[in-house]
Amino acid sequence: MTNITILIIGAFLSLTILYLVRKGKMHGPYATWWLTVATVAIILSIFPQLMDWMAARLGVTYAPSLIMVLAISMILLRMLTMDMALTRKEQKIRRLTQKLAMLEDKINRRD
Amino acid sequence: MKALIVIPAFNEAENLRELLPVLRETVHCDVLVIDDLSQDDTAVVVAEHGIRCLSLSNQLGAWGATQTGIRYAQLHGYDTVITMDADGQHLPLEVEALFKTFSSAAADVVIGTFPSRLSRLKKMAWWFFKSLTHIKIEDLTSGFRLYNHKAIEVLSARPASMLDYQDVGVLLLLLKSGLNIVEVPVKMNQRNDGKSRVFSSWLVVLKYMVHTTTLCIANIGAKQAK
Repeated sequence: MTNITILIIGAFLSLTILYLVRKGKMHGPYATWWLTVATVAIILSIFPQLMDWMAARLGVTYAPSLIMVLAISMILLRMLTMDMALTRKEQKIRRLTQKLAMLEDKINRRD
Repeated sequence: MKALIVIPAFNEAENLRELLPVLRETVHCDVLVIDDLSQDDTAVVVAEHGIRCLSLSNQLGAWGATQTGIRYAQLHGYDTVITMDADGQHLPLEVEALFKTFSSAAADVVIGTFPSRLSRLKKMAWWFFKSLTHIKIEDLTSGFRLYNHKAIEVLSARPASMLDYQDVGVLLLLLKSGLNIVEVPVKMNQRNDGKSRVFSSWLVVLKYMVHTTTLCIANIGAKQAK
């Protein structure tokens, strides 16, 4: 039952991402990331034994806890890269604002 | 030597009305005011005095505005920048003192300080930041500074755009670039009106302290270029 739920979530996520890309509301690396997440969800729902196999390999006795740990790690990693991207954006905005002020001054003096 | 006086201003129309005429009389170099999205007629007052004013379309804060002036100076071939506050705290008469120290000492940056203005709270904060870094400057926040062409180069570059306050972060960046900072005691006025931006409310102070502490810790052991 759980597997079917995850399969539905994965499928729904993929469709949503494809829809957003189509409408131009999500682009490039973001779309790729989310599609990867959806694909992993679909694969794990079809082959749940994959997780058991991996847990056994890593010495984790309770497989679902491995899923949790991996999922939370990925979320934290994603948030970290998001903040890094925001920092880059902030820097660009600041420098553009400064440049704009200088250009405006140049134009005003020409008139 | 081509020098530019950079004055960041946010809602400082009244203070600039007093400061600019005095500045024109006492100092004979170009003046540039950066209007940091003021709601009053700061830009109008500056224009009335025949002084150049750059208007920011996004609020960047005191350091962002100052950096605009420094980038302007770099673009237009100025080799010295003097920054001062718009609130009349820094006296135009003392600009001469900065120049004097600059030409006598082999300094890249001259900071005009007025140590007795520091409250006990500020002194404690400074002591804390100085113990975290290798900064040996008395007055960390003084915005009354002279930068030479090397400092202009460093401060107009991209890394400097990520700083949020013009004190510790800027000083660390300058020291990291191997620049020599010298202090000179100057006279300062009490603030005409309005209070210190940084030390205005507890929440702002807390934010500033946490932010600056993080910056200090992140810079521990950062290599000092020779």
